[in-house]
Amino acid sequence: MAVKLQVSDNKVSIIIEERFDFSLHQQFRDAYTGHEEAKTVFIVELSKTEYMDSSALGMILLLKDHAEKHSSTVIIRKPNASVNKILEIAQFHRLLPIEL
Amino acid sequence: MLLSKEEAKIALVVDDSAMQCKVLSILLKEEGYRVFTANDGARGVAMYVKYKPDLVLMDINMPVMNGYEAARKIKSLSQKNSLCPLIFITSMDTDNAFIESIDAGGDGILVRPFSPEVFKAKIKSIQRISDLYAQVKSLQLEQQMDAELAEQLMSGVIESRNYGLDKIGIIKQPAALFSGDIQLSALCPNGDINVLLGDFTGHGLRSSIGAIPLSETFRAMTRKGFSLHEIISQINTQLYDLLPADLFLCGTFLTISAHDGTAYLLNAGLPESYVFSEQGDIKHKILSNHPPIGVLPKLLADSKVKVISVEQTDRIILISDGIVEARNEQGDMYGFERFEESATLGIKSQNVCGIISESLKDFCQGMPQEDDISLIDIPCRGWEKSFVSNVAPPILSQAQVDDLYSVGVPVWEWDLSLTGNRLARVNPIPMVMGQINEIEGNDEHWNNLYTILTELFVNALDHGVLGLNSKLKSCPEGFVKYFTEREARLDGLNDGAIRIKLSFFPFIDGGRIKISIKDSGTGFDAQQQESKNDADVLALSGRGIDLVEQLCESLLYKESGTLAEATYVWTS
Repeated sequence: MAVKLQVSDNKVSIIIEERFDFSLHQQFRDAYTGHEEAKTVFIVELSKTEYMDSSALGMILLLKDHAEKHSSTVIIRKPNASVNKILEIAQFHRLLPIEL
Repeated sequence: MLLSKEEAKIALVVDDSAMQCKVLSILLKEEGYRVFTANDGARGVAMYVKYKPDLVLMDINMPVMNGYEAARKIKSLSQKNSLCPLIFITSMDTDNAFIESIDAGGDGILVRPFSPEVFKAKIKSIQRISDLYAQVKSLQLEQQMDAELAEQLMSGVIESRNYGLDKIGIIKQPAALFSGDIQLSALCPNGDINVLLGDFTGHGLRSSIGAIPLSETFRAMTRKGFSLHEIISQINTQLYDLLPADLFLCGTFLTISAHDGTAYLLNAGLPESYVFSEQGDIKHKILSNHPPIGVLPKLLADSKVKVISVEQTDRIILISDGIVEARNEQGDMYGFERFEESATLGIKSQNVCGIISESLKDFCQGMPQEDDISLIDIPCRGWEKSFVSNVAPPILSQAQVDDLYSVGVPVWEWDLSLTGNRLARVNPIPMVMGQINEIEGNDEHWNNLYTILTELFVNALDHGVLGLNSKLKSCPEGFVKYFTEREARLDGLNDGAIRIKLSFFPFIDGGRIKISIKDSGTGFDAQQQESKNDADVLALSGRGIDLVEQLCESLLYKESGTLAEATYVWTS
């Protein structure tokens, strides 16, 4: 279970493996703090995420707050079917772009 | 709370050599300890009980009771909340002595000979561990007390005030001691029932912060007669302002209006809600169509409260994700299919909660629960009863009757005209009720007045101003069409007006309120050229009017049906 980070130009990819839950709270926050340049695109890469709970939704909202404060954006990328179902129930596509 | 004790720590030295006791005592005193000594194991145990020391130093070979046995006794006596470190002091430098010391409950061993510096270093290190242990224990205790308080608050204060628990079935199995799930029900002034199943992010105390403002707002606004949408909207604003970004509420909000066979529902972030028929067939599934509450500053305009036509025999079931995501040992989830099957079975055998709980238990086979599990099962009937019992017309004394029909001057009058898009946006009924409560105080019988006002206002708006025909509502398809059309006409409302006027005439032990509601519509005659007998009026204005007639002293339609005049009388 880990949060991996890839930074290139104005892109910050946060890759979540296995379970995305409260235990990643600090790691997830550490991943985006410090990236305060305007027009950064934060990509939450979920292709390797098998499970996500509601505290993970909360963490994404914290990231969204951080991004908006610095005129940046957040994209959720490639959630699997069960993770996407959770995003769908929470209607997250109304809040930020989700790339399937 | 301070974790460190201010007074000197106490050490107990147990050694059959008086010389050894003396040497260790001097070293310990230099470290600031008060020291007690004992010369055999049995006396050591007795001294332990008497002085409750912070540290025990124990020789191994002693008369009466040896060190290992004394250590076992002491460890079994030591309170759970303090470690009371125990160090064996011995000259037996063997693996066996070391292993046995630890087995007996020792926290360390010091082998003679050792220098005073090494001894003091050992004492310091063991004391550090002991302090840490005490700190953890005390934090744990505090946390548990907080959680218990939260639990007590939730079950004792918040959920004990729920309405209609004799008819509503509830499953509530928290994952942690304190559940992030909240289940509320409250009675509307017109006899409708409002229900909320909510799931705050996370578990434990953290997830409960929002529960108090949530339940207060839900209850207060329900009691005042605000619509479901207004209540959700207010709760959303409140939680958005109050909670940090990562704390929010997934919730399903429901109103069941038994007297007009309608359910109003908004699902914001929970799994599908269900409407089941009496036979256990799924009639509707209502999917989440709004992000959780408290995430956005305002509710999304295009996510409307769903209006569903329901039969008296239907049941509505709300669930949180804990049920469908419950896992068994193999890691499989309980899932929607199993849930729906047991729900159907539960409805057929009139034991929804029992059968679903049982099926869930069979499936999980004792696997520890990861998330809160909750469900609410609400019948669509039985909500009009408590209301109808209020209806009995008052029996007036002769003096009251004389009073009633004397042409008095009202002690107060109040009126409000709403036009155009204000009319589309504002619900004036809670305002009117607020005024009455301000002037005349709170009373149960105002609930009847609330119903009269609501029905008359809705009629004036729907049929008068918006020109909708309630005949549409007679079949389920028309029902949906009616509400869609209503929504569209409201959105485009630029002109049109409604005036509400109240006049209050008190008499001995009671009073009379005259209600006039005038709308800018074309009236009944224009819509229906024929006679305007009661049946026509009823057909045009829906079932609500039937109810108003029961509640009122008199109800008259004037000015081609654009002016409704009702008189409500009560005695206290």
